[in-house]
Amino acid sequence: MRPRLLALVLFCAAAPALGEAYQAPEALVAEVFGSLPSARVLWLSREMQAQASAILNHPPANLRQRYWSDGARSVWILEELGKEELITAGFVISQGRIEHVRVLAYRESRGQEVRDPSFLKQFAGASLDKGDHLDRGIDGISGATLSVHAMERMARLALYFDHRSRD
Amino acid sequence: MPFRLRLVRTLRRWHARIGFAALIFFMLIAVTGVALNHGAALGLDSREVHSKWLARWYGIRHEQPGQAYRTASHLLVAANGRWLLDGSAVAEKMPYPLGLVEIGDMIVVGGESSLHVYRADGALVDRLDSSALPRVPLKAIGAGEGELVVQTPAGPFTSTDVLSWRAGAPKVVSWSTPTPLSDADREAYAQRLAPGISLQRMLLDLHSGRFLGRLGPLFFDLVAVFLTILALSGAWMFLAPRLRR
Repeated sequence: MRPRLLALVLFCAAAPALGEAYQAPEALVAEVFGSLPSARVLWLSREMQAQASAILNHPPANLRQRYWSDGARSVWILEELGKEELITAGFVISQGRIEHVRVLAYRESRGQEVRDPSFLKQFAGASLDKGDHLDRGIDGISGATLSVHAMERMARLALYFDHRSRD
Repeated sequence: MPFRLRLVRTLRRWHARIGFAALIFFMLIAVTGVALNHGAALGLDSREVHSKWLARWYGIRHEQPGQAYRTASHLLVAANGRWLLDGSAVAEKMPYPLGLVEIGDMIVVGGESSLHVYRADGALVDRLDSSALPRVPLKAIGAGEGELVVQTPAGPFTSTDVLSWRAGAPKVVSWSTPTPLSDADREAYAQRLAPGISLQRMLLDLHSGRFLGRLGPLFFDLVAVFLTILALSGAWMFLAPRLRR
């Protein structure tokens, strides 16, 4: 049993390395702005940490969030747990609305459908309404419910961060 | 005594015996099954159980911490993919550290392809992966003139905010180097840095019987047969008198 269990445990430990990265964050930033501007930083105050916790249902991972902006548009690279692994996604925000979303790395063994343009285009044009919820419903994907919820939470957080970065 | 009555008595006796003998396994299967059904809500994936005997049972090599990184007021010890920063475990699945540096009110832990920035109270400020670093792999980290310096294959890079980088280094850099732990510290930290097993993995193995080894699933198959016998005998004892009426 032990060799098999060891192999299983090693496989689980190696799972993040097996996850697929589709685009590097800086490549997305360069694609959006035409060049790679310097990263800016949003420090999360206690109030922002509380609001981010409410959006994510857990405390934010970092107290300092990096982002890129040319004044009109901003790019936020966020990570959130899907089922067992982190999903990395890039959100381009313009005038308080999501311009487009891209999944940069998906490490789960199932649920890759959240990368499909047909799913991601639902976020285009979305903004925050009262309670920092998206102003529209996002259709789920069978078998990828947790990943869909993670994408929604990241979209809300990106919009909230963008809003606060302009205060 | 009529045959039917003898049969009912025998059946009732064995129903009770099997039920009592298998009680602990039924409870185990039920409790682990309910927990696994709600694994996501309970956060089973993200929780790990740390124990030296459990790691031995799973055949996981237990790495002993041999050295520590120190600054004037902070201490980092690492082993088994875990870090203890000032005595507190900071996270799971961490890279092996290259060094520990204190810059102003920030603590920076360097790995080959990442930097973790902490506040003095241990709260994570930022995590910079290879895309946010000037070059990787990092070879060493240090401090000079109040700035963070990282040594890379393309030479040293310096940062004041652990965000933007410029090539070069101050004239004097104090590179972070490990110091050996005493035997007592090594033993104490080994206990706290024992490798972890995912709680979900452990519950799955308990539920399926794999936790008990190669024959575990067969044993739990037998328990399942007993459960089936109990269900059928219970149903028969319940229905037979009613059907006779």
